[in-house]
Amino acid sequence: MTPRLFLHVASMGARRTLSYRANFWIQALLTFLAELGLAWFLWRGVFEASGATLVAGFTFEALVRYSILVALVGRVVHGTDLEGAVAQEIYDGGLSRYRVYPVSHYAFKYAQHLGALLPALVQLVLFGLAWILIQGRAGLEGITLLSALGFVAARAAANVLQFALAWPIQGVAFWAENVWSLMAALRFVSSILGGSLIPLAAFPASALPWLEALPFRYLYAFPVEVLTGTVDAAGFARGLAVALGWTLVLRWVGERVWRRGDLSYSGAGM
Amino acid sequence: MIQRYLAIYAACVRFSFKRALEFRLDFFFRVFMDGLWYAMNFAFFGLIYRHTPLLGGWDEPQIRLFAAGLFVMDAVHMTLFSNNMWWLPTFVNRGDLDYHLLRPVSSLFFLSLRDFAVNSFLNLLMALGILVWALTSYPHPLPAENLAAYGLALGMGIFLHYALLMVFLVPVFWLHGSTGLRDFYYVMDRFAGRPDGLWKGWLRRLLTTILPLALVVSVPTRALVEAEPWGHVLHLALASGAFFVLLVTLWRAGLRAYSSASS
Repeated sequence: MTPRLFLHVASMGARRTLSYRANFWIQALLTFLAELGLAWFLWRGVFEASGATLVAGFTFEALVRYSILVALVGRVVHGTDLEGAVAQEIYDGGLSRYRVYPVSHYAFKYAQHLGALLPALVQLVLFGLAWILIQGRAGLEGITLLSALGFVAARAAANVLQFALAWPIQGVAFWAENVWSLMAALRFVSSILGGSLIPLAAFPASALPWLEALPFRYLYAFPVEVLTGTVDAAGFARGLAVALGWTLVLRWVGERVWRRGDLSYSGAGM
Repeated sequence: MIQRYLAIYAACVRFSFKRALEFRLDFFFRVFMDGLWYAMNFAFFGLIYRHTPLLGGWDEPQIRLFAAGLFVMDAVHMTLFSNNMWWLPTFVNRGDLDYHLLRPVSSLFFLSLRDFAVNSFLNLLMALGILVWALTSYPHPLPAENLAAYGLALGMGIFLHYALLMVFLVPVFWLHGSTGLRDFYYVMDRFAGRPDGLWKGWLRRLLTTILPLALVVSVPTRALVEAEPWGHVLHLALASGAFFVLLVTLWRAGLRAYSSASS
């Protein structure tokens, strides 16, 4: 797939997501406010009840900032439910048309997925910046130009990894109808083990090496830790390497699942 | 009349069982998904209690009761209502509602309950097991009066949750969007999954009156663990009744605005 075609497909995905602009931005603002309310009151309750000044190594302001950033990053990583459309095309036979396209189906779908994420990326920048500025000095703590650049790389790796995680699950649609529940299960597991629901530092110390070895941390917590300067250069390189390693493994698994699935695909839908 | 509606519902359940057993793999995916959701919630609360003795004024055994109530509420909702409510906006937009409006039965009843999710019924059994475990492992005595108030309040909480979500779905008759205001409800619904003691000030007032999500599971839990349970039950009864009246009013207005496929 040429870069020009990739960009064209991505821009079509972005335009489709923005076709209901007012609805999209109202939904985005309400979701942001709800996430802010949930994080603010939850952590205030924990700090008040415990009487501690630090919880899992975070101050109250740092925990609220982490929760907001991780929620915004999450939206950019998994985006709209475009992945569900892949399974739908298997059910209804729509997959057949990609057989005649002179491009890789995986690359085509990833370009669409990436395009659909662009509005969420704008939200991340706007709402993230707004919250950091509202928090003032506490909001900017640990953030440098270098950490922001590292964040861009970590977020891109997270996005590719999420797509690689979803791809074999979408392939299950060759044999079963209810793939959305497997995607929801993936969301549940990754939100708790990836540090989206609660920072990974809140886990017992014995669990941390396992969490660092699994792919989920690199979807949510890692990009935010890079941005806020809590990961050093060696940790950053190691994190990217683990994310890339998992992406390759999952890409291989995805290929195997899709190759097997193709054998049972009739083109007539299920 | 009640007997006739029960017979219709029994037929709906029978058809749902037959359909579910045709797709056995799918059947277990949903059981697996909900099992993971229970585990995720327990892990979340367990991790929080590593750093604080109380959350929203409740200790860990009390939060276990809250979480178990949340699972039962969710499982009942998924079993009875969820599939039906998911398809409602599509029916309205495609004009498929016509077929259901012609039937000699209440359209609100039939469209809310016709599809019984058998796979979620298994999760309901799992959630009830967790509730029994949370009740029997609770370290303080639970008087029969509180248990009765809890059962009643949880039933009303489940009904309130259904009525609230329907109130957010019914605007699809006028908005013509793909989901009504469902996505907004799902965002706000997350407040129901945390103990109400966390919410303070204007947010607490909002979540106990205009958008009474804090009542759905937290108030039944309060009826169980606090000394005076019946005030909580009355609060829930009033909120459930008010939202049911609002739902029926909106539903009737929506049907008047519905004009088949062009809706």
